[in-house]
Amino acid sequence: MIEHIVFYSLSTVVLVAAVCVVTMRNTVHSSLFLGLSLAGVAGLFAALGADFLFAAQVMVYVSGIAVLIMFSVMLLGRASDLHLRQVNEQWMAAVLICTVSSAGLLKIARAYCGTLAPSAPTPDTRAIGRLFMGEWLLPFELASLVLTAALLGAVFFSRSEASR
Amino acid sequence: MTLAHYLTVASLLFLIGVFGALTRRNIIGILMSIELMFNAANINLAAFERFLHPEGVAGATLALFIMTVAAAEVVVGLALLLAIYRNTDTAYVEDYNLLKG
Amino acid sequence: MIEHAYLIPLIPFFASFIMLFGGKEDPHSNMPWVGIAAMGVCLALSVSVFWGAVTGTVALPYEHNWHWFSIAASIAGRSFVYDMPVGVLIDGPAAVTLVAVTLVSLMVQVYSVAYMHGDVRFKRYFAFVSFFTAAMLGLVASSNLLVTFACWELMGLCSYLLIGFWFEREGPCEAQKKAFMTTKLGDSGLYLALLLIFAKVGSFQLSQIYQFFDKGLMPATIATVIGIGILAGAAGKSAQAPLFIWLPDAMEGPTPGSALIHAATMVAAGILLVSKTYFVFLASPTAMESAAWMGLITAFLAASMALVSYDIKRVLAFSTVSQLGFMMCALGAGGFTSGLFHMTTHAFFKALLFLGAGSVIHSVHTNDMRQMGGLSKKMPLTFLTMLIAVLAIAGVPGLSGYYSKDMILADVWNHDHLMFWILLCTALMTAFYMFRLFFLTFWGDDRDHEKFHHAHESPALITGPLVVLAVLSAFAGAGLNHDGLVHKLIPKPTISVMPGAAVAAPAHASEAKPEASAHQASTEHHDGHLPAWLHMTAIVLVLGSITLAFLMYRGPTYAAADAIKANLGPVFTLLDRRWYVDDFFYALVTVSDKVAALAFWIDANVVDRVFVDGWGLLMRIFAQISDAFDNLFVDSAVDGVGGLGNDLGVGLRSLVREGQVQEYLMYAAIAFSLAATLILTR
Repeated sequence: MIEHIVFYSLSTVVLVAAVCVVTMRNTVHSSLFLGLSLAGVAGLFAALGADFLFAAQVMVYVSGIAVLIMFSVMLLGRASDLHLRQVNEQWMAAVLICTVSSAGLLKIARAYCGTLAPSAPTPDTRAIGRLFMGEWLLPFELASLVLTAALLGAVFFSRSEASR
Repeated sequence: MTLAHYLTVASLLFLIGVFGALTRRNIIGILMSIELMFNAANINLAAFERFLHPEGVAGATLALFIMTVAAAEVVVGLALLLAIYRNTDTAYVEDYNLLKG
Repeated sequence: MIEHAYLIPLIPFFASFIMLFGGKEDPHSNMPWVGIAAMGVCLALSVSVFWGAVTGTVALPYEHNWHWFSIAASIAGRSFVYDMPVGVLIDGPAAVTLVAVTLVSLMVQVYSVAYMHGDVRFKRYFAFVSFFTAAMLGLVASSNLLVTFACWELMGLCSYLLIGFWFEREGPCEAQKKAFMTTKLGDSGLYLALLLIFAKVGSFQLSQIYQFFDKGLMPATIATVIGIGILAGAAGKSAQAPLFIWLPDAMEGPTPGSALIHAATMVAAGILLVSKTYFVFLASPTAMESAAWMGLITAFLAASMALVSYDIKRVLAFSTVSQLGFMMCALGAGGFTSGLFHMTTHAFFKALLFLGAGSVIHSVHTNDMRQMGGLSKKMPLTFLTMLIAVLAIAGVPGLSGYYSKDMILADVWNHDHLMFWILLCTALMTAFYMFRLFFLTFWGDDRDHEKFHHAHESPALITGPLVVLAVLSAFAGAGLNHDGLVHKLIPKPTISVMPGAAVAAPAHASEAKPEASAHQASTEHHDGHLPAWLHMTAIVLVLGSITLAFLMYRGPTYAAADAIKANLGPVFTLLDRRWYVDDFFYALVTVSDKVAALAFWIDANVVDRVFVDGWGLLMRIFAQISDAFDNLFVDSAVDGVGGLGNDLGVGLRSLVREGQVQEYLMYAAIAFSLAATLILTR
């Protein structure tokens, strides 16, 4: 029962916040709702028993990416933006596309209607650590390489023309 | 709870992300929508692991990789945004038409 | 031997091909002897058939057919198979004619070896002669009218080739064209007649056609049309009025070739065709009477023309036409036997006359009798043989011409008295002009000393055939007439259902006719003698006209003849112009030309202007309307489709704001979502 309450409330938070992200006129509000939505997703991870993922989500997304975006919005934003529409004129078509696509996606989802979790969730941080340091070491190192490159790129692109 | 519930939530989140990517005029809005789609994918990965392969941790591991790439993408993307903004003085994608033939 | 009768036409046929294609063209070629040998074999075969017929060891008529081809046809839902055999039919007339033709051809060829020696196309001449003879023999022996017609046309070709043998000169060229076209004019009638026969009878077999007529199945009108058509063909080939105009010109060819045309082959073909299809005429009194009158008119006109001509070959040509008229008249008057009898005897003495004339021409190198004269001293053998021929054609008792002509006159007397008197008059003219020719050529003084000086007797190859033919001219008539042989050999055909048998005698027939047709089947000819007084009168008159000719043309001066000519100028002119028949045809052609010119003018100025040009104009207007319609509607539609695509593209492009990343993304999303949804919800 508690599980249901948790799931539905988290889902509601995630989806409503997401809708707010894509519809809000004020971009700052959007970015705030993004943080909320990502936090909800973190909650869903927790409900799924993915403890390490929950932690990573909170740290990377909620406290990292969402904040970064918020800063960017503030950097790029202008007061006049508040008086402009933030949704372009093809939103009807986009709705249609989403509706159509949902038919296919939900059909797949329905195929798993009766799939219950076979057992209670177990902590998996240890297992992930073993995997990263063992079998998947090379992808792990490549990921760190990607992060380093991204760091360098970000630094390079965000420098002003004058200081370049 | 069944797998279908999670998949449904992930689907809806993904479609909201698609909607945002298609409709937001502000380029940061598009970036945020893309983040939503990433998260939808991550929910799926975690849910599949939980319901179909609870003995392993592949789903969570892949989700972590996605997070990593997403973080790198956001960082580089925002840096690029800043650079473009400095050149064009706008954040609206309909004004980004330098490549127009 | 008669079962090998089919060889008679085939041997000279192949011989002609051997001569035409074998060996080189050489003025001194030995090739002619191939043709002569072939003709000798043919003569032997023919004589054996003839002798068999005379002695009664061979049953005539003999018929044998081979399958040639057959035609399957479906008429009004019923299927028919028309069998077309090819075969030989040797009856009495054929047996006699085969001998005459082969004999004359053989004599002509032997004669030609000397006469044509040194000619550049020496070999070719003999090939033509052989082919000509082969065609004639085929016509005689064929049991099938289709083959007969083919041979008939081949003869037309051969006459063309022989008349125009010296085609380098203008005269032969014109003459060959004239001969070919004139005979072709008649052939068209024959062709129609054959078509009509086949349409009615469904066969070309003479025996079957005879059966058809014999049972009286052929309506009299159709029989008349067929008869007239056959007469037209015969008039062309046998030079009957008014189509005789080609024959006097045909002497442009080599003289022995003329002899062949005039005696054995070409002209006899028409007579022979009429005799082969005599049952048609028996079934149609109108056609019969037409034949008689056509022959009569021809005989009279031609004889009168022969009176004034000075060209030796032309006189002979006119005499041929005249004699053919005799034969045709005899056939038309019901004298089947006498007509064919005369054809046979005529073949001998006319060949002799032509060969004799050829001998004279060979000697003095001119055709003009005014430059001859007194040649009896130089050419005794030619003189003697010519004398026999002239006596024979004049109808002097004892010689062959007498018997046949006497028989014709008797038949005509029994048919119609008016005809008889005209024909007798013609016979007297014949005697006169033949002796005029004879006296002008051989009697009197030499009028052209140089030519006379160079004249000489011809070589043996020329005189030999003359002698042979002279013997035949003298005795063939008596031999054939002996003991009614000719009546046995050439019986008049009969048909069981006579036209008008139920009706009274035709109005134009004389009182002799019903009597004759009353016992038609039995022995009409034996009681067809002339009354004795008439017979004697005729002989006396013939002798009288010979005497007259002697008095007028014995020389050395021709005052009487010149006086008559001076006094009867217009008549002479009329005769000299050949009764204006040539001019008539010329005028006809000229008028036709004028009519054609008028028609052309009408065609060019009225039909072309109004109809063709008008139609064109109308079409142009229509085309312009169509073009306008095309431009306005069709092209617009086509352009519209293209423009629609273009507009669609432009519209879509304007719809898609270029460079709008989100719109691109939008379309990608549309495509992707549709594809994904279709796949997933399948």
